[in-house]
Formats: sequence, C-alpha cells, structure tokens
Amino acid sequence: MTADSTPSQWSVDPARIEANWRAITIELDAPAPSRMERLLRAAGLPSRITRLVVATPALRRSWYLATAVAILIGLALTDAARPREGLFALLLLAPLVPVLGVALAYGPEADPAHEIALATPMRGLRLVATRAVAVLAFSTTWLLVASVLAPGWQPMAFAWLLPALGLTTATVAMMTVLAPRRAAAVSAVVWVLGVAWVRAAAADPLAAFGAVGQAMMVVVTIGALAVAVARRDRFDLMASRWRS
Amino acid sequence: MTASQVMVFGLRRRFGSIDALDGVDLLLQGGLITLLGPNGSGKTTLLRCLATVDVGADDAILVDGLDPRHESDRIEMRRRLGYQPQRPSLAPASRVFDVIDYVAVLKGHDDDRARRHLVYGALESVGLAERASDRVGDLSGGMVRRLELAQAILGRPGLLLLDEPAAGLDPDERFRLREIVAGRRHDSTVVVSTHLTDEAAVGDTVLVLIEGRLRFVGQPDALATTAAGRAWIQDQAPVDARATWRLADGRHRCLGAPPPGADLVDPTLEDGYLLLTSPVVNVG
Repeated sequence: MTADSTPSQWSVDPARIEANWRAITIELDAPAPSRMERLLRAAGLPSRITRLVVATPALRRSWYLATAVAILIGLALTDAARPREGLFALLLLAPLVPVLGVALAYGPEADPAHEIALATPMRGLRLVATRAVAVLAFSTTWLLVASVLAPGWQPMAFAWLLPALGLTTATVAMMTVLAPRRAAAVSAVVWVLGVAWVRAAAADPLAAFGAVGQAMMVVVTIGALAVAVARRDRFDLMASRWRS
Repeated sequence: MTASQVMVFGLRRRFGSIDALDGVDLLLQGGLITLLGPNGSGKTTLLRCLATVDVGADDAILVDGLDPRHESDRIEMRRRLGYQPQRPSLAPASRVFDVIDYVAVLKGHDDDRARRHLVYGALESVGLAERASDRVGDLSGGMVRRLELAQAILGRPGLLLLDEPAAGLDPDERFRLREIVAGRRHDSTVVVSTHLTDEAAVGDTVLVLIEGRLRFVGQPDALATTAAGRAWIQDQAPVDARATWRLADGRHRCLGAPPPGADLVDPTLEDGYLLLTSPVVNVG
C-alpha cells in the first residue's frame, strides 16, 4: 500500500471478508481433540487415523478391558511361590486380550454408526484393521509391562506375542463369517482348549508356547490374513447375521 | 455434485418366508421422492439396497451407471451417497463435532482444515454449529435427528437416502427437518421414507410401497386423484366402505364405492393412500 492510498483503494470484497472471518471462527471454535486423540497424534499418527481409532466408544471400553486384564495378570504374576503357574496364566490369557478388544471395537453391537460407515467409501477391512492394530498396540503395551514384571524376567514371558497376533487375525478372518463377538468367542475357546490339550499331553506345562506353537501361530496369522483379504467384501456389506 | 440417476430393475429381497421386496422397478433423477408405506412394507430394505449396504448377487441397480455388485463401482457410488439409517446411529457420549468429523474421514476427506470447514458447513445447514462442542446425549431428540441428517448431507451427495428421519419428532422439529430436506431437492436425488402422509405430500414424487411391491409412483396430487369420486361424508357409519373414520363433528369420512346420492368430497393424498393400503379400515 502506498502513502497516498485512498480509502476507496483499501476496500475489499465483503464476501471475501466474510469467508475469511468464517475460516478464522471455525479454526477458533473447533473443539480440541480428546486427550487420547492428542496422545495418538503426538505419537505421529495423522488425524484421519486417530479419528477412526477413537471415534467408537466401544473401542475405549476395549482399552479399559485390556488395561484391567493386564493389571490382573500382573497381580497373578506376583505370586512368587508358583512362578511357572503365573507364567502359564500370562501366556494363556494375554493373547485373548486383543481378541476381546477387537470384538468390542467393530460391528453394529460396538459401533452405533456401523451402518453409516458401511455406506461410505471407507473399505470395511481397512476400518477393522485400523481398529485391530490400535487394540493390539494398546493391549500389547500393557501386557509387555506385565511380562517385564514376571518373576525371574525371562524371554518366555513374551511368548504370548505371536499367539496374540495369530488369534487376533484369526478373529478378524472369522468375522467374515460370524458376528464379531461370536468370532472372538470361537477363537478364545479353540485357543484355551488347544493349550489345555497340549498341557495335558506334554511333560512341560509351557510346551504349547514353544517353537512349534510359535510356528503354528505364524501360519495361522498368514492364513487368516489371506482369508480376510480374500473375503474383504464381507466387511463392506451389512451381513444378514447382523441385520436387525 | 449433480443429482444422481437411480435405476432399479425387478429388485427382490426375501427374509425367511417373507418377501421384503417383490420385484421393485424404479427410475429416479433429481427432486424429493417420498417413499410411503406402512411399517414392514419394505421401505428400509429398499433404502439399504440403494445405500449399497445390502447387495445381492442378482440385484439390478444402477446409480449413475455404477453397479454396486462390483467393488470399484460400489466405492464410487458411496462417494456420491449420503445415508441416514432408521436406527439411532450416533453415540451419546461423543461430541457433535467429532461424530460428523468421523463420518467426514470415512467419506475420504483427509485434509484437516478442509474437513473442519466441511463439518461446520454441514452443522450450520442443520442449525447445530453452535452446539459443536456438546455431547450428542445432551441434545434433544429433534437435534439428534438433525445431526444424523448433517452427516448424510456432508459433501453435498448426489443421492441422499433418509430412512424415516422425522420419526418420533414433535411438529416443530418435523417442520424444521422437512425444510432442510426440501432444500436439498434441487441438487440431489433425495429419497425420504415415511409412514406419514403429510410428510409424503411435500415430495415431488411419491412412491407407495406395500408388502414389498410398488403400488403407486407419481405426484402427490395424482395419488389424491386416485380417490376422486370415492371419498364422501355421511352421518351414519357405513357398513361397506373400504375405509371410514369419525370426524370431529361426529360425521364419518368414508372411502370406497359411494352409495347413490353420497356427499362426495375432494380427495386427499391420505384418501388415495388408504385406498391402496387398506381393503377395510374402520377408525374411530
């Protein structure tokens, strides 16, 4: 602007002023993200991901559940008189935490906006995978703490990691056939019965979590991922099993 | 976005022994279309099919030439779609801004600032921008329905599907909602299901769905006209009318084949609808 500018030269388009003012107002008025969302953004996740993760109240409940179970396992592990039993309980129960979390984080029972989400371009598998990863990450963090606290800190205390991954992906794959909570229940029952059977058959109570068991879980994970991807259409439609 | 063209050919859907949809044919493009029918007539099923959440292998539905049976077409269709389901769909503990922002993410609006503007635009259009920070549970029932409408109109979809958006609302809120929906008729194909004839009357086109079959497609006046010469008023309750109900002055409004010398009256949309739906109805 020059020194001899006249007021008429300063005039600007009122519509532009209105638009700018509206933009400023929106930036000022938009509610701040929740603490959980701010935490996730601080960890480097973009808002389009954090929104998907924190939007479902049931997802928060699944996190609380994971926290509670991790604390319970931690308390069980403090029984130094029976360290092998505590470790067995950790390895048996820890993989079930993310399984329950995923079951509580997806589907019409968990998400009131499920039907709305189905009618959007967001692919259902991406949505369920995002939430499954969120649940896995959160519950794994807590359970790792519990594992570190295991008496006589030992690598075996982390032998639940691959089973957790395998059971979670298996649950997601089964969700193409069953409702989420039923899929989680099937995963949990098969896992508990399988571990109990190995324990009864083998001399070592922790045999189910050895190298063979871990290798099986790698196979389960890969197979379940393949099934989930091949049947991804099932996450994009309202299945008759979920219809009211 | 321009109004979407919707074509449906012989759409069928069967649940157990019930034909929810029994050969529905439709051709829609632009305007406000009200889908009228009694409870259980198949309205929700039809809207779910159009919303691509229920897709059958034999379906013949095209929206702007896109076939929802094909994954890539279905995703593209959903970019052009706004859908408000019948069931409550927003978590009471969530904040108003957050629920719409969440749907905006689902609809693929990734840029933060642009998305905020889009969300506020949708909230302003339903009169809820001032409540952006409130919890959904703190809103009245009418506000919640408007909020559900806000997520549907987000991004100005070419096809807007609203499943009984005014159900359970008081007259003021119903009027307000109706005005918002009617405002969308010029740049979208808006399909609104209802079982209330006064709501159906504001449509450019009325579809009457009964037991899974489209029994009428046309303008509201044309539906009223179907009852011309078949609506009359008399003092005594008739015995052979198709439908009859007592008026405030104690006389009876009747539908069907009028007796000789009957006091014929101008038919309403409700008369036409009742003649379609009710072989025999006696009210009051």
